[in-house]
Amino acid sequence: MEKMSRVTTALGGSVLTGRTMHCHLDAPANAISVCRDAAQVVVAGRSIFKIYAIEEEQFVEKLNLRVGRKPSLNLSCADVVWHQMDENLLATAATNGVVVTWNLGRPSRNKQDQLFTEHKRTVNKVCFHPTEAHVLLSGSQDGFMKCFDLRRKDSVSTFSGQSESVRDVQFSIRDYFTFASTFENGNVQLWDIRRPDRCERMFTAHNGPVFCCDWHPEDRGWLATGGRDKMVKVWDMTTHRAKEMHCVQTIASVARVKWRPECRHHLATCSMMVDHNIYVWDVRRPFVPAAMFEEHRDVTTGIAWRHPHDPSFLLSGSKDSSLCQHLFRDASQPVERANPEGLCYGLFGDLAFAAKESLVAAESGRKPYTGDRRHPIFFKRKLDPAEPFAGLASSALSVFETEPGGGGMRWFVDTAERYALAGRPLAELCDHNAKVARELGRNQVAQTWTMLRIIYCSPGLVPTANLNHSVGKGGSCGLPLMNSFNLKDMAPGLGSETRLDRSKGDARSDTVLLDSSATLITNEDNEETEGSDVPADYLLGDVEGEEDELYLLDPEHAHPEDPECVLPQEAFPLRHEIVDTPPGPEHLQDKADSPHVSGSEADVASLAPVDSSFSLLSVSHALYDSRLPPDFFGVLVRDMLHFYAEQGDVQMAVSVLIVLGERVRKDIDEQTQEHWYTSYIDLLQRFRLWNVSNEVVKLSTSRAVSCLNQASTTLHVNCSHCKRPMSSRGWVCDRCHRCASMCAVCHHVVKGLFVWCQGCSHGGHLQHIMKWLEGSSHCPAGCGHLCEYS
Amino acid sequence: MVSVINTVDTSHEDMIHDAQMDYYGTRLATCSSDRSVKIFDVRNGGQILIADLRGHEGPVWQVAWAHPMYGNILASCSYDRKVIIWREENGTWEKSHEHAGHDSSVNSVCWAPHDYGLILACGSSDGAISLLTYTGEGQWEVKKINNAHTIGCNAVSWAPAVVPGSLIDHPSGQKPNYIKRFASGGCDNLIKLEEEDGQWKEEQKLEAHSDWVRDVAWAPSIGLPTSTIASCSQDGRVFIWTCDDASSNTWSPKLLHKFNDVVWHVSWSITANILAVSGGDNKVTLWKESVDGQWVCISDVNKGQGSVSASVTEGQQNEQ
Repeated sequence: MEKMSRVTTALGGSVLTGRTMHCHLDAPANAISVCRDAAQVVVAGRSIFKIYAIEEEQFVEKLNLRVGRKPSLNLSCADVVWHQMDENLLATAATNGVVVTWNLGRPSRNKQDQLFTEHKRTVNKVCFHPTEAHVLLSGSQDGFMKCFDLRRKDSVSTFSGQSESVRDVQFSIRDYFTFASTFENGNVQLWDIRRPDRCERMFTAHNGPVFCCDWHPEDRGWLATGGRDKMVKVWDMTTHRAKEMHCVQTIASVARVKWRPECRHHLATCSMMVDHNIYVWDVRRPFVPAAMFEEHRDVTTGIAWRHPHDPSFLLSGSKDSSLCQHLFRDASQPVERANPEGLCYGLFGDLAFAAKESLVAAESGRKPYTGDRRHPIFFKRKLDPAEPFAGLASSALSVFETEPGGGGMRWFVDTAERYALAGRPLAELCDHNAKVARELGRNQVAQTWTMLRIIYCSPGLVPTANLNHSVGKGGSCGLPLMNSFNLKDMAPGLGSETRLDRSKGDARSDTVLLDSSATLITNEDNEETEGSDVPADYLLGDVEGEEDELYLLDPEHAHPEDPECVLPQEAFPLRHEIVDTPPGPEHLQDKADSPHVSGSEADVASLAPVDSSFSLLSVSHALYDSRLPPDFFGVLVRDMLHFYAEQGDVQMAVSVLIVLGERVRKDIDEQTQEHWYTSYIDLLQRFRLWNVSNEVVKLSTSRAVSCLNQASTTLHVNCSHCKRPMSSRGWVCDRCHRCASMCAVCHHVVKGLFVWCQGCSHGGHLQHIMKWLEGSSHCPAGCGHLCEYS
Repeated sequence: MVSVINTVDTSHEDMIHDAQMDYYGTRLATCSSDRSVKIFDVRNGGQILIADLRGHEGPVWQVAWAHPMYGNILASCSYDRKVIIWREENGTWEKSHEHAGHDSSVNSVCWAPHDYGLILACGSSDGAISLLTYTGEGQWEVKKINNAHTIGCNAVSWAPAVVPGSLIDHPSGQKPNYIKRFASGGCDNLIKLEEEDGQWKEEQKLEAHSDWVRDVAWAPSIGLPTSTIASCSQDGRVFIWTCDDASSNTWSPKLLHKFNDVVWHVSWSITANILAVSGGDNKVTLWKESVDGQWVCISDVNKGQGSVSASVTEGQQNEQ
């Protein structure tokens, strides 16, 4: 804010200089008017009538026109106007209905010239003819307009608006004989000064009183009107019917409107109540003021541009008893303050972005950025090419879809829906989840799951897990194919390989066992494990086609190739049995552990000599000895969960928490867990994944979380026969002693999902009702009700 | 590649100042200088105009969705010094409450986390922040923090409600003691943290910006042990404020980036790991914290390309 800035404008010889300044008046002002030399301003009010000189730094009182001991009501001014041709000529409108003219050229102290006492009530407005020196027009509360010739004592003509009161009168600048008048009833009339009998044209411009009007200084057919309906309208009066060109909506009723000189689309307004500010509007941008002057502390009553060709100086008088000169450049500009952009991160990681269009257009020459795959939705507003751009604004709103790396959330939904959290052995869960993660391209997460399986997998589960694992993991690098070859190649050899048999037997001491073919399969499994962990660790993305591979590995498919040692029935029961065996002290787990413990070297080692069962086994054996207790990993896992949580992937943290259950819970403090749970549940609900959310709540070990499901579980049910509330539990109504929740379609008692119409209480099995409603909208119970199910 | 699914006219007649997605990401509310608030259904890439809300008498600066557990509620604030709360009832949107307690333009509205009830914070150019609390039956209680920011308040953002441990039942059976907190940014170049401890009081003053603070955004607390606030300013700088230790309550700023132009908005992704920043340079940039704690720009979306003018449209056609 450069309040002290000074502006100097040269206007054809005369020079305007000044700054934003104000001076105190003795009394509230009602109106102001500027002398045509732009150096003096007259202020009029109920008890003030003074002329001030506008100097560079201040206003200087030059003349007090309110003279005499007993100020008469004639001096109580509602309006004042300074003649734009004669520097000595002023006219005032008095609240008692008198129109007074003043001649500053009079030598006496009293400059009063003529007195017209023709109006019955307050004169709201006086107006000099722009080119005729002696013609004065007045508009009064009594509904009449009068035209005076200052050379005569009485009015020349009287115009009846046929309405309550005239709020404003303005001579047209374009048309010598025309003037416009505005009325309390919302009408605007156009008169020919030569024809007092009736108006040339009349139209309703506003709802409620039209307080003011102003002819455009250049586009001379344009008339701006302001009303109590808070609007400023710009009319083209040159057409047959007045055509509304623009409509500016202000905050409060419009008391004054003045076109800004040299700025074709600008006008200044002030209000008569509530709002004390003066606004300058660009009529093409009718919602935001282009500039705002906030100096006054009370209602602004008069505004005037200082010079008809200078757009930067605005003078104003106010009820707060002050006179101000405003510099346009000191105005606050709400447009500049306004935020030209809107930005919002959507739920799915999509970005809604609204930007000012002129900005966008200016940048349109730029080469589009192509690094990001997006599916923007564009909201756009067509630009009118005829309109000049400056001063106008509109916005383009686009919704961008960002990639997963960029915050997209599709993976979240997919993951949430597909993860298995319980109901299966740990290893299976881990494998399943790893697979899900990999399919969604989240390799790090997949790897984590695999590692978790390796760390925590309980021994009894290994064979199953391994098989599953190989099924789950194998596909990526063509390993299964390789393995199937192995199977073929090795089967005969291995079958007779006693050493293998023995070592196997050693490893699993006294487990249920096993003929050679079973051993072979187990062996294959182990080999699979070794091999398949590699892809898991190395994050190979695509698992397509694994189902086919499954069959290759499946004993049943393997057997035909090796018929003599097949015991198909045994292979399955065997696995089954082991699955059901509670985790024992077996150490086969170490085989699973080994790739992790020994790191990638071991994996590579085991992968490379994949055809050699000897090296394979020896690797397993070596690792068997370097086994570490799962507790060893507690800290690691905890850190890992924290890491994911901090990355914003609370889903991973919670999923792991649930899957691992007791194994990790003790390592993480209760509050953190609870926070993760609530965050995750909240997210799930935002994505409307109610089922998953419910599952998580159910599986959560935190008491505070699981009680979420116990809130508002009461269901009030009415009997479908007697329509009374069911008081007791169960399926029988106490009152009518009948089964209450019968399915109206199949007439069986519904236990489980019961859906009913809230209108007639009839209902039944969800499936039945859905099916019924496909064919009919009437109640299936035959009660005739048109059922509605939401 | 840019692929345009659809092109629709928001038919706002002037600049759009804010766009907000609802809780489920299915509806988009926009507000404009043209005094209207519009709601679009944006499911499946569609854009169906659901409502055109008229009631403000000045440019509407911001909109905010309430949590759906309270119904479909939208708040808007305007240059006309009013805050309007809109509510959908039987499929039609209507004005439910109008708050006219400010002496100047209301620049920002933000709903408190739903755990606190229905509370709306409104920041105004008159320097005050008012808090509207729904007390039932259409009644709103107003509290006002005067002189929160001299010259004016530009943005408010609530702290997430989830305080670890807050859900644990208290032995005495009393309700968990939430401390309501929000951050505000203003024309005094400051970010202030206000806290309700019986009554609202200023708890912290964060100083780093050298010009008006345009937006503040408290990161959602998703598995994050720390409190994080992002702020942006006229001075072109974006700061990330973190408070690692809740007990000492010291906030440290980290400069994310210094842009060459005003930065208008910051917005966190749902999981708070990505920050979107939009600035006067006509770009949206996405930022992510790397493992070593540095913020890196992972993407910049120049909306110039996605836009409106003819040349761009041609460009898109060429690409397709």
